Amino acid sequence: MNKATSPGHGVRPAGRRDFLRVGSLSFLGIGLSQYLHLQHLMAAAANSDARKAKARSCILLWLEGGPSQVDTWDPKPNSSFRPISTSAAGIQISELLPRVSRQMDKLAIIRSMHTEENNHPQATHYAVTGHRPNPAMQFPSLGSVIANEMDRRNNIPPYVLSAEMEAMSYFRSGFLGPECDPMVISDPSTKDFKVPDLSLPKSVSAEQLQDRRSVQYLVDQLYRQRIEGIQHSKMDSFTDTAWKMILSPNVREAFDLSKEPQKVRDAYGANGFGQSVLLARRLVEAGSRFVTAAGYGFIEWDTHGDNDQGHRDTLVPPFDQACSTLLEDLEQRGLLDSTVVIAMGEFGRTPHLNPKRGRDHWPQCWSLALGGGGIQGGQVIGASDDKGAYVADRQISIGDLFATIYKAFGIDWEKTYMTPVGRPVKIANGIDDSTGVPIAELV
Amino acid sequence: MTTMKTLRRFAVLGVVAGLSFLILPVSPQPQTCFSLVGTAAASEQFEQPQKSPSSPSKGRTPLVAPRIGTERIERRATGELLAVRVVPEDSTLWGAGGSRQFLVLGKYTDGLERDVTSRSRFSISDNSVAQVNAAGRVMAVADGEVVLTAFIEGRAASTTLRIADSEQELPFSFGRDIGGILTKQGCNSSSCHGGVKGEGGFKLSLNALYPRDDYKWILEGGTYQVLTAEPAGEKRPRIDLEHPNKSLLLLKSTDTVAHGGGERLSASSADYQTILDWVRTGAPYADKDEREGEVRVERLEVFPRQTVLDPGGEHQLLLTAHLSNGQSRDFTHKVHYLSNNPEVVEVTSKGRVKAVSAGETAVIIRAAGHATVAGFGVIGRPNPDYPDVPQSNFIDDCVFEKLRRFHIVPSELSSDAEFLRRVCLDLTGTLPPPERVREFLRSNDPRKRDKLIKALFDSPEYVDFWTFRFADFFRVARYANQIEAQHAYIYWEWIRSSIAKNKPYDQLAGERIAAQGHGGPTPHFFPYSEVRNPEQKMAEEVRVFMGRRLDCAQCHNHPFEAWSQDQFWGLAAFFGRLNAARFGKRDITLYGSVLYDDPDGQEVDYGVVGKSGKVIHPRTQQEVLPALLDGTVLPEADRADLRKKLAEWVCSHPWFAEAAVNRMWSYFFGRGIVDPVDDFRLANPPTHPDLLSALAKDFRDGGYDLKHLMRNIVSSRTYQLSSQPNETNREDRINYSHAMARSLEAEVLLDAISSVTGVPEVFSNETSTLPQGTRAIDVKEPDVYPSRFLEAYGRPNRHAVPERNGEPNLAQALHMLAGPTYTEKLSKEGGRVDRLLKSAASDREVIESLYLAALSRFPTHKERSTLETWLQQRSSRKEAFLSLLWGLISSREFSENH
Repeated sequence: MNKATSPGHGVRPAGRRDFLRVGSLSFLGIGLSQYLHLQHLMAAAANSDARKAKARSCILLWLEGGPSQVDTWDPKPNSSFRPISTSAAGIQISELLPRVSRQMDKLAIIRSMHTEENNHPQATHYAVTGHRPNPAMQFPSLGSVIANEMDRRNNIPPYVLSAEMEAMSYFRSGFLGPECDPMVISDPSTKDFKVPDLSLPKSVSAEQLQDRRSVQYLVDQLYRQRIEGIQHSKMDSFTDTAWKMILSPNVREAFDLSKEPQKVRDAYGANGFGQSVLLARRLVEAGSRFVTAAGYGFIEWDTHGDNDQGHRDTLVPPFDQACSTLLEDLEQRGLLDSTVVIAMGEFGRTPHLNPKRGRDHWPQCWSLALGGGGIQGGQVIGASDDKGAYVADRQISIGDLFATIYKAFGIDWEKTYMTPVGRPVKIANGIDDSTGVPIAELV
Repeated sequence: MTTMKTLRRFAVLGVVAGLSFLILPVSPQPQTCFSLVGTAAASEQFEQPQKSPSSPSKGRTPLVAPRIGTERIERRATGELLAVRVVPEDSTLWGAGGSRQFLVLGKYTDGLERDVTSRSRFSISDNSVAQVNAAGRVMAVADGEVVLTAFIEGRAASTTLRIADSEQELPFSFGRDIGGILTKQGCNSSSCHGGVKGEGGFKLSLNALYPRDDYKWILEGGTYQVLTAEPAGEKRPRIDLEHPNKSLLLLKSTDTVAHGGGERLSASSADYQTILDWVRTGAPYADKDEREGEVRVERLEVFPRQTVLDPGGEHQLLLTAHLSNGQSRDFTHKVHYLSNNPEVVEVTSKGRVKAVSAGETAVIIRAAGHATVAGFGVIGRPNPDYPDVPQSNFIDDCVFEKLRRFHIVPSELSSDAEFLRRVCLDLTGTLPPPERVREFLRSNDPRKRDKLIKALFDSPEYVDFWTFRFADFFRVARYANQIEAQHAYIYWEWIRSSIAKNKPYDQLAGERIAAQGHGGPTPHFFPYSEVRNPEQKMAEEVRVFMGRRLDCAQCHNHPFEAWSQDQFWGLAAFFGRLNAARFGKRDITLYGSVLYDDPDGQEVDYGVVGKSGKVIHPRTQQEVLPALLDGTVLPEADRADLRKKLAEWVCSHPWFAEAAVNRMWSYFFGRGIVDPVDDFRLANPPTHPDLLSALAKDFRDGGYDLKHLMRNIVSSRTYQLSSQPNETNREDRINYSHAMARSLEAEVLLDAISSVTGVPEVFSNETSTLPQGTRAIDVKEPDVYPSRFLEAYGRPNRHAVPERNGEPNLAQALHMLAGPTYTEKLSKEGGRVDRLLKSAASDREVIESLYLAALSRFPTHKERSTLETWLQQRSSRKEAFLSLLWGLISSREFSENH
């Protein structure tokens, strides 16, 4: 079976609305076999340099609300902040990022991102799926696609989102199914942070649970002899995984921030974002494929008023701290080469200040940074005009960004998934439904 | 046929018996091919008609003996030929050069009707009126009436046909003639030029649905833009009036100029000639002197609609086009055929269907502007000892008739325990209490099932449960709808009172579609975000009440269906004046909850509702007037209450009842007759078209009575079949040959766990806690009460489609092993285990009592003794009971309705 047609792993439960049915169920589908054949041919021709790919996991630092490009990665005279030099020769960023500036050799900056939506929900949908919202469709997020394409490791949930937030529905799997949904974690910086259902309550021991499972087997024997449900084997396989997750210390520990020395916890920052980033590092180390580290407040970067104050006092410093610590930490642990780090929001902000000294939404031209996982840092891709308002050189789309990341993972970025209603969906979708192109200098 | 292939086929059906009963495929006789052009030449190939037998005597010797070997083998497998008939019956052959394919169908003792045309001989009563060839195609010669007779294996059958207007040519029509060729050749299919954006810079309407557009694209060229009506790019005509044979349309389709789609036409074909002649005559849209307008195809009829084939069997399809001038034409060779699943059947370009392997699928047939579908099933081993199955009502007639044709034997009637649990869960979402189980199993009343059904319909739990079901698919929610709690309650109460008084479903639907907020007669609340987008509101109403998904047509003509963007926006315009206001206050707020149609469509807030009540077409940027799907623009005089008019139209549309019964059916069987229930479309045909029609008719005739519909369903033997499969039906998933296990809905499962453990669930959030004992199905605004259990088990947020997904997932498994629902609930003081421990119940009594509570049945002897032994080996009685209870509530038997 070809992955491109059946977007899911073998154990993925076949949804009620699945396009692909077998045997007597094959009532759906237009020219299915022709389609399968075509997909097969396409897959065979897919990029052959997957082996060179280094990325094994990805951490998305999600800056909800949209940072101002001129006050972060793309300093301009119309910012109130000065540019500073960085560890990468010739690259300057805003003085608000002193610690990240010393890690700039690890990060590449894209200064010519251009996206298509101007409101938070739609823009978030666009930024994390590559598609504009469509009432007829539910698109998978980047993390879901990567979770779908990569094998699972060590019983660790492949896709995790920390911490839960209003916009998390856009980070879901769409038509890919529950296997590729993120496991959503509550704010890890809270005092009594604990991941639910991951460890047994005190009243139940592992032995007791084992005992219980054996009774379940006795009780269910007759029924299962009678009724052969696909659901049964699916549930069994989930139960086995859950069993291993609950009983194996590595999973529980991966989520257990108290295992980190206080010094490390402090280095990431004693706030929702910092601790989410730390949790992301632990999870990636343990085997997760994609972790979205959010943790800022509800559209906290949305500085319609007092942009400078917000960026200077509350927004950039925690990011500067957590991002720089993460890059150092990953490097020290030898994980930087296999872990892609992306820092972005859903759009940028207006080049001019509004009467409330704020900056408004700006998808025309904005910046983001990425590195690790084989992505060549210490460079700038594209350029904005003198005010950071419009793309001056080399427009980059979300599709191009996704294609770059997929390439880093060795995933065929030209892949198309077929939805249950028979609409093909590109996993790297560029402007006007073009296919995204990896940025050659980066990967 | 190789052995491997045979084995594979039989493996699919799960037939384990020996292969000695193998059926060899009947070798088809070579098909006679002849050109329809040149009657004289063709007629030479015609069989010389025999004496014209106006009333053929039975038992005649066949004129051509079929090959002996074939016949012997076939007879063994299929039984005796009982009767034959010729189709189409009583037809008329219209127009100059008219011809029509006839089929001979033989009914066999095994109940199947087979296409025996290729083994039949034909004669015609008057050779000077019409002639017939060996393949059963009749050619008109002169006006008159003749009798066509077919002979096979000593039997004969006749049909009368009239020849009319045999001198008259059909006037040319671009849409019908050129559009027909483009459709038949697949040029305008959704994967080629009929795709949303066309292909290679050349756009055609899907299926030649819009011949005016096609005419323009072909004559003028231009590139199709999705978002605007402005043509872009270089305009390149596809025809060349100066040098007709240099027309790009012809050069491409013959692959003379490189064509991504390869060669579609040969330069010697009749279709090529038709296009060339058309260009030569100046490429008109229609005949100039055609006064009465062009003759269009009004309806496409396929024969047969649903057929069963033997392994290796074949069947010819017949296509008839009914024209706007009242005539009809044989379109069998003028349409495009596509098998939905070529692994089940293959179809030739001439409409001959061949069985490939066991299964069920459909052949999609497309002609200019029209499409239809024919269902095919390929059976495995015929069953000579097919039993007589009792039938309770018309549902069984439809279901069992199809099962018989497929040689699938339905399972036995369910046991009383099986039935009791199933019907209680389906009608009330509630497990039967142990006393009721005992009582029901003990009773010898032959009518106890009917009495139980009646009791359940009259129970308060029925109202609770169906309020929950309707609140689910009507999407009552506070956050998702962005309405205030009191308004969510009003909406919920409206549903509850409608269910309680069994309000006719058309009234219910009408009230919802034409809702005017809580001040009006129908307190329904649309999600505010959707009020601002009339198109989403419309698409949702069509999805819910007509079972169709129009959304694709929002941005472009639907890629697979006959939905145009114009139709979409015409319907959306019915919601164009919809607005929301807060009652009693002057300001209009985001959380405004009163709906009204603003007479001027005054824009009061946020500015997304059409400017001045106008809905603007995104492509043409013109105002769209409210128009029904058939294009009828609502007359000015009727626009006072737009949505009321829309409601009348929706509820009187044939789709309305079909969508309703299909959805209701799915609640009892786990799948719709069309599945998913809101995805009626050509390529997703019903598994049981007759059943769907019969249910819809009964529903309509009975005044849209939901209880009546449900009573029909649960009283049918089909519903009451056991879930225990037999050898013939084990693999069946779509024909209702046995009850299919279905996962319990999240809320029902949680309530069942609460009832079995004896510990009610507490629903609370930061600000409120629902009264002790509130069941999950009774929560009025579920989105306000977070529940890890309900979310893991697929409670919908009532905001997005699909509505509900109860598929197993990891979160369920984690929760089952370590979550509080499966741990804390069990051991809670006052719970069932606690009470049992404190009682003097013996181990045996405890086992029995837990089985009755959880599985609604007694344990079998073996289960009881195994568990007793197991219990005795345990040191802690309490721990052992907890384990047993856990084992029960985490079992698949408990988690499913079966």
